Amino acid sequence: MTTRLLPALVLLLPAGLRAGEISVFRAYVDSDVCARLMLGPITPSRIECSQSTVKDGSEPVVVHLRNNLVLTVNKQKMIRPLAGQLVEVSGEIKASNGTAKLQSVNPVTAESVPPGDPARKLLDVHTFRVEKSAQLHEKIRHELAMMPYISEFDFISFTQSGPNVILTGWTVRATNRSTAYNIVKSIEGVETVINNIDVLPLGSFDMQIRAAARAALQRQLSRYFWGTGSDIKIVVKNGQIILLGSVATKTDSDVAFIQCNSVSGAFKVFNMLRVQSSGKKGA
Amino acid sequence: MWHKKMGLSCLAAGLVTVLSCSRPASQPDVSRMPAGQGFSGFLSSYANLKPNPEFENTVSYVSQDPVKNVHKYVAVIIDSPVVYLATDADQKALPDRGRTALAEYFQNAITEAVEDAFPVVQASGPLVLRLRSAIIGVDVGPAIAADQKDGKSLDRAITIGKVGVEVEFVDSETGQQIAAAVDRQNLGENVMVGSVSFSRDEQFRAATQAFDGWAKRLRDFLDSAHQLSKDDVARAEATNFPYASEPDPK
Repeated sequence: MTTRLLPALVLLLPAGLRAGEISVFRAYVDSDVCARLMLGPITPSRIECSQSTVKDGSEPVVVHLRNNLVLTVNKQKMIRPLAGQLVEVSGEIKASNGTAKLQSVNPVTAESVPPGDPARKLLDVHTFRVEKSAQLHEKIRHELAMMPYISEFDFISFTQSGPNVILTGWTVRATNRSTAYNIVKSIEGVETVINNIDVLPLGSFDMQIRAAARAALQRQLSRYFWGTGSDIKIVVKNGQIILLGSVATKTDSDVAFIQCNSVSGAFKVFNMLRVQSSGKKGA
Repeated sequence: MWHKKMGLSCLAAGLVTVLSCSRPASQPDVSRMPAGQGFSGFLSSYANLKPNPEFENTVSYVSQDPVKNVHKYVAVIIDSPVVYLATDADQKALPDRGRTALAEYFQNAITEAVEDAFPVVQASGPLVLRLRSAIIGVDVGPAIAADQKDGKSLDRAITIGKVGVEVEFVDSETGQQIAAAVDRQNLGENVMVGSVSFSRDEQFRAATQAFDGWAKRLRDFLDSAHQLSKDDVARAEATNFPYASEPDPK
């Protein structure tokens, strides 16, 4: 049973980033929403995403420039005003659950990262290369799609650069985080896996929002829902709803956004639905 | 003064009566298998149960309702299992703490078996299932000899040779049955429990293996109920494309 695999908590981090030790590293201040969706180089559109979503209430996080590890922090006030900027962070990293206890955060410029430093990888779209092996990419995508306990309330995604994979997304089941890691790590050709999957709280407040959002969407957009899942993913975290997945038309995307905005108790809705270009969705 | 004494005496007598009539809160419910019946009556419904070809000696039901099915829930509350005695078992001879031990062991086993599929929560609510279970057909075994007893020994052994389990997942808010199974697979043949810690000689391993076995079969049943159909597999795969910003090709 794959879901019984022991959580493998070892992330391939550079020396000096072990839990319990104070590390100094360069990072990008992002929002939780953008950091788990816009993997890869820090482009103007990503900066715009980071700044606007933090302003709209998404939790600010730091992204380690060397390996794209997303870290939620204990002192959000320290980084909130720095959304969309590069910073030097001093703090204690706990890679097993993607958290950092901050000591200090100071803005830095891109020029302060020396050429050849691995941290430069995310700073320039010309130096960042997504070396995709189509076969490996498809294998990873297939294996993640077939995970048995994925619901409408989970979203698990990834990016692959050669043998290096970054897992990302949100899940309501803690074991999905470790299961996804173990599945991908065991695929032939994969060497390193950074696990940025966030485990969502199961508090009754968020559970009510999840149920109400699904019911509202199912009423209006039933063709995207089937017996065991749906094309629309509803991520709920601390009263915020993130809509993900794909719909056929812009109108459907707008309907989904309006429906979720009407859910009692939801503070904010981030509409990240993709609109299919073919427009041939559902019956 | 006399009236005051009378009042206190009545109050004391009342308290004694109440205390002697009530069982400790942690005590599991005592129920008995109805005579001549294959089922205990514990499940909210037996109407939809059918033989399950994947599991020997098991009848089961899984809701196919598109709105109310196991896929639509993300967490579970696990109720304390209820012990049903065999029809002709001598209830007085069955030690209470033995029944408690059975229920507690099985609850731990099923919690371990399902918690990575459905995180265990404490409060009912939307998207939360309730797992109800019963151990049926428990019987009284022979007395434990005085020279074999220790502090955890029972006065009489408990026989689980003909035991089965009944389980159901219900909606924690409405009570609607979402999945159910009656598992009569005989995993405890010739097995007795003689101690609250299940630590009676070689039978310890056999008893724990039996309960762990039923818990594993419960998890296997849950996995099979949660399996995607071919159409759903195709649809899940067709829609699961990663979000990732690609480098600007310029």
